[in-house]
Amino acid sequence: MRGGISMAETAQIEVRSLTLARGGRVLVEDLNLQIPRGRLVVVAGPSGAGKTSLLSCLAGLLAAECGSVIYEGRHDAPAFRRRLGLVFQHLMLTPNASARTNVLCGRLGQLPWWRTLTGFSQVDKARAGEILSEFELADCAGTPVRRLSGGERQRVAIARALIAAPEVVLADEPVSHLDTHLARAVLARLQRETRERGCTVFCILHHEEIVAEFADAVLTLKKDAPGEWHFAQKSS
Amino acid sequence: MTREQPPRLTAFRITLLVFALAAIFSLPALRGSGRSLDHGANMARFLDRFWPPDFSIFPQIFPALLETLQMAVLATAFSAAVSLVIAVAAAQNISPRPVVLAARFALNVIRSIPSLIWALLAVAAFGANSLAGVIGLSIYSVGYLGKFFSDAFESVETGVAEALRATGADAIQGFQYGIWPHARPLVWSQTLWMLEYNVRSAAIVGYVGAGGIGTWLHTYQEYYQWDKFATVLLCILVVVLILDFAGSRIRRQFAA
Repeated sequence: MRGGISMAETAQIEVRSLTLARGGRVLVEDLNLQIPRGRLVVVAGPSGAGKTSLLSCLAGLLAAECGSVIYEGRHDAPAFRRRLGLVFQHLMLTPNASARTNVLCGRLGQLPWWRTLTGFSQVDKARAGEILSEFELADCAGTPVRRLSGGERQRVAIARALIAAPEVVLADEPVSHLDTHLARAVLARLQRETRERGCTVFCILHHEEIVAEFADAVLTLKKDAPGEWHFAQKSS
Repeated sequence: MTREQPPRLTAFRITLLVFALAAIFSLPALRGSGRSLDHGANMARFLDRFWPPDFSIFPQIFPALLETLQMAVLATAFSAAVSLVIAVAAAQNISPRPVVLAARFALNVIRSIPSLIWALLAVAAFGANSLAGVIGLSIYSVGYLGKFFSDAFESVETGVAEALRATGADAIQGFQYGIWPHARPLVWSQTLWMLEYNVRSAAIVGYVGAGGIGTWLHTYQEYYQWDKFATVLLCILVVVLILDFAGSRIRRQFAA
């Protein structure tokens, strides 16, 4: 499916004729999207289809072969980064630091270095405590991340992405280590971000049942057919 | 039927071969004076003068022992602070290549000069006192701690720091929250090791007038007062043993 895929309204994120390649292999070709605020967009597709690469490109971490990503009508990716929440596939947490400190690291982009040189403010720490409670992690706030389970670490990573109230969240398989109950709770929390704050969430998910339950739109990428991506909106 | 493969020339085997050849080449160093001496009896006669140690000098040498510890503590503290900055500059995964090369060159130069020579230079500049010892030891320690710390930083995967920077953290924040927490146990452990090392070194730099208990060592050696010399050595031994014990306990805590 090609050309001007739109979800009406004014686009917060606009992807124009984007082509992505890695290691000489084209993953996504001529992708066009216009995503307005407050949507939960699921990126689906088989392994190796380019889902993580697409999210990396949206985060400004991977350069496109051609095409562009425009945030609120501007190409200013560095400024946009400060309003971005990222959940990495491999989490990228600091194992020796506590869960609370890891969550607080999500605030770094909004604070100058001299404000964080001796740690974080009590207000920030209280906010980190609240968000950890929301993810049922209040008891392990002071525990080094290396001592947490895979599922707990994943929730710490999501909490880190949300503490700064980002305008866009890019989450690479954010519920892969969670049981269905916790996965639903986490996705409901992300959905709440979209509904209450107008945050846009791009989320790589695999379980069709969960996708159908939470997605406002689904972008499906196909392996070995980079131009045959498919974008479908959920009819409300 | 399998044909037997000739032994491969691995880097380890080449190193071993070169080392063996170097050892053979170095054998003339064992020649000694060439005179026929009763080495065992000489040593026994010399050590006999150490016994019994003269503990009556303890009140006299205690302030110097304390000064030695003070020199070691200050030198370690100063060098650790300076080394942190230089180590960041010398770490390949943090700094640009020209900065890395310049910082590593500086660290190599510092390390290539022995602590006794640094102390001698400091005595020439600041006079024969403990300040010279602190400065000499500080400079020498920077050469080692700078290298150790930069190795510790380089052993850290930069993925977390890059992940933090991807959401707007600056380079300092990326280092503080992405690299430092990983390297911190190693950095503390190495600083502690340097403190132990500096206590030993501080006991020696007094030989060139840089303060501390080494001054007494030098004096007693000059006057052949080996019983007193032995007391000083025992004092140093006790202090070093206590530090070793405490250091290994603390290092275990870091590793936990």
